[in-house]
Amino acid sequence: MVSVKQFDDDYCLLKQNSGSEPSKCSGVPWRGNGNGIPFYCLGTEPVRGNDARGNDAYRASSCHAEEEQSLLDSLLLAQWEDRAWKGPLKYDVTNCEMKFISGSRKLIAQLNEEWKSTYFPELAEYNVLQSFDPFKFNCMKTFREELLFCVARGEKAKSELITSTILPNDANLVILNANPVEYGHVFIVPINFYNPPQFLDLRSLELAAQVAIDINNCSFRVFYDYHASSRVNSSYFQACYFANPLPVELVPVVPVIGNWQERGIHIFEVSDYPVKTLMFKGKDNFNMLVALVSEICSSLQDRQIPFNLLISECSTKMFLFPQVRALSADACNLSAWECGGHFVFRARRDFDPASEESLVKRLAAISLDSEGFQAVKQMSCSIASELSS
Amino acid sequence: MGLRIHTISAEKEIRGGGGGRSGGILAAMGSELGPGRLGPIDESLSSRYSEWIREALEEIPDNFLITDPSISGHPIVFASRGFLKMCGYPREEVLGRNGRIFQGPGTDRRSVSEIREAIRQERSVQISLLNYKKDGTPYWVLFHLCPVFGKEDGRVTHFVSVQVPISTSSRVLGSGPWRNWSDIVGDSSIMREIVFGSCRREVCLDSVGELSRSLPFDSYVDSDNRGLEAEESCEASDSEKQKAATAINNILSTLTHYSELTGKVVTGKRCSSIGIVTLSSSLTISLGRIKQSFVLTDPYLHDMPIVYASDAFIKLTGYSKHEVLGRNCRFLQGPNTDVEAIRQIREGIETAQSCTVHILNYRKDGSSFWNFLHISPVRNASGKVAFYVGVQIDEDSKDDHRGLSPEMRQLGAVGAVKVAVRSSSMGVGSSSKS
Repeated sequence: MVSVKQFDDDYCLLKQNSGSEPSKCSGVPWRGNGNGIPFYCLGTEPVRGNDARGNDAYRASSCHAEEEQSLLDSLLLAQWEDRAWKGPLKYDVTNCEMKFISGSRKLIAQLNEEWKSTYFPELAEYNVLQSFDPFKFNCMKTFREELLFCVARGEKAKSELITSTILPNDANLVILNANPVEYGHVFIVPINFYNPPQFLDLRSLELAAQVAIDINNCSFRVFYDYHASSRVNSSYFQACYFANPLPVELVPVVPVIGNWQERGIHIFEVSDYPVKTLMFKGKDNFNMLVALVSEICSSLQDRQIPFNLLISECSTKMFLFPQVRALSADACNLSAWECGGHFVFRARRDFDPASEESLVKRLAAISLDSEGFQAVKQMSCSIASELSS
Repeated sequence: MGLRIHTISAEKEIRGGGGGRSGGILAAMGSELGPGRLGPIDESLSSRYSEWIREALEEIPDNFLITDPSISGHPIVFASRGFLKMCGYPREEVLGRNGRIFQGPGTDRRSVSEIREAIRQERSVQISLLNYKKDGTPYWVLFHLCPVFGKEDGRVTHFVSVQVPISTSSRVLGSGPWRNWSDIVGDSSIMREIVFGSCRREVCLDSVGELSRSLPFDSYVDSDNRGLEAEESCEASDSEKQKAATAINNILSTLTHYSELTGKVVTGKRCSSIGIVTLSSSLTISLGRIKQSFVLTDPYLHDMPIVYASDAFIKLTGYSKHEVLGRNCRFLQGPNTDVEAIRQIREGIETAQSCTVHILNYRKDGSSFWNFLHISPVRNASGKVAFYVGVQIDEDSKDDHRGLSPEMRQLGAVGAVKVAVRSSSMGVGSSSKS
């Protein structure tokens, strides 16, 4: 591993224990204002409540009433509120009106006249994409105000917050989304974003899911969108706080029976929802849940099937929305929160008359048909079965 | 002049108002009663305030209405002489009807839903509103609504709404989008009653056609095409606001006095213990997770009382919960508290901006501490300011905790409060009539 000797506030010297080539193990120096950046090191045994997360101790989502706001929750909210107060947000999202669409599904509509959908690369477009060099990469310069903090796997058992002028190569940057769809909207972007991997893999899903565990706030959701377009780099997550449950989370589910249940993994089919959806639940086995979902996602990516992932309830539940392939370039896929039933309207004239019927239609339009969905379900089950055996 | 033009925001306001759900202020409560059925309407006041209440209310010169939310349709059960004169309706055409009959196409839907929300939450609201006389003339009023609570069960018995006409000290010349302005202000002797006033008018440049598409005309009784005024908003002067508040107090004390005759005593103030109940239990649970010292205050209640105080606040100040709930935060101030800091706080609240101040505060035992105080408006699901949160840090015990500086913990608490409050009070909307 890397050990770091600090020269001064502005520059650090890396010293490696192992003799491997420098490009692999070196950190990225943080040459900011000299104060370093908040750096959250995930514990090797992240805690939920007071229990270490071993295979057995990993408990169902708590969000206990008596439980104190977690350190990571405070950190993210504090940094976000700080930027909301003085910084680069385009608008105050708490100003936006929200309502339930009348009907049985309780779909959520938000009127957000200034919202514009952003893919992460747009944010960093002014950075030199082609000649990315980790050693020259200057986060402060590129993201200046948007960078809230960094997160990476730590070496200690317990998660901790430090201030660092050096970032490990596998760190993720938590960056403000200046066009938030809800409070606390951030991008979780690998520091080596401009290098491969371009897709979701086990390590990145694990990290995003661990962030959700450490935040330990039921309002917090993590999203992943895979659009199956070669132009869009898909190796980042988004996250935000949705105060109310997303409609899909309230829909009854039907269990899919298999040997994975012995390993604490549950697969459900979401019944009676316009988008055919699978839900994975791993109360007691976080590692296996992450392994399973990342394996399924990789398979979908291999087949270029667009999908969205919604991680809720502190990473105990993961919703998978496979989508039909967009037929034309203009046809757009929905984002994960739209699949979950949260819709953003940019004009009052669309917001006010929005009906459940029209939104259900929009959702149904991107859903796989029964045949396609059965194929995804079968694939998921066979992966689960293989992992469980 | 006090007159500003906001073309861009006007367009927003149009859209804002345009598609808002139809129905008037009180329409959410149900259907209207016909004007003929005055039985329960008559009894509404006399059963609680005795037979003499009407005479007593007639003595009050202000323009006001009293409505009864317990009767279907939330009808008007009393209209003052001044009010009838202002709106031009005879009494029998007002009693038993819902307050929305005074609204028209130019009435801002957002203001209407704000009032509706205040009714739902049983709290006061003071807002500018464009109303229409019987002959169709629009006129601006400062609308001040206040609930009347039964002292025994804490339930709302009536709503009092005082309507003070808003005057303007300036006239607008010109044509185009302004042409209707003179219709609004040129009218009415009432306008002259009040000397100072500043009006803000949001100009609408949209075509009438655009408007008729977006406004729910079917909710109005209007037959002519007065849709042209569209949305304006008009700011009342301080003296008008004061006038409304004074009138409310007069009416409340009259009601309280006469309620004593029947033994069913009413009050304008929600008891603090009831006030805290209005925070939903899920909100209270979410707030309970935030371990910082903080309070929530309700800007819609008289004197902005504390409606939530965290355990850490109780520990920091030495007061007990029942001693702080329902009170304005100024009890923390003392002889050496800097007036400049207080001014900064007031300015932050008036402009609905976050602010941080260093202020000398006092505990219950009289000892003082330097409070690094952050105040921020907190909005609900409708995007309206629901509370102000004040997070305190005792400067003497400033230390990092788990790597977070006190300032970060402070903002972290603000963020958590914002997330929690945003989940509360989210309504169901539909395109159908409410």
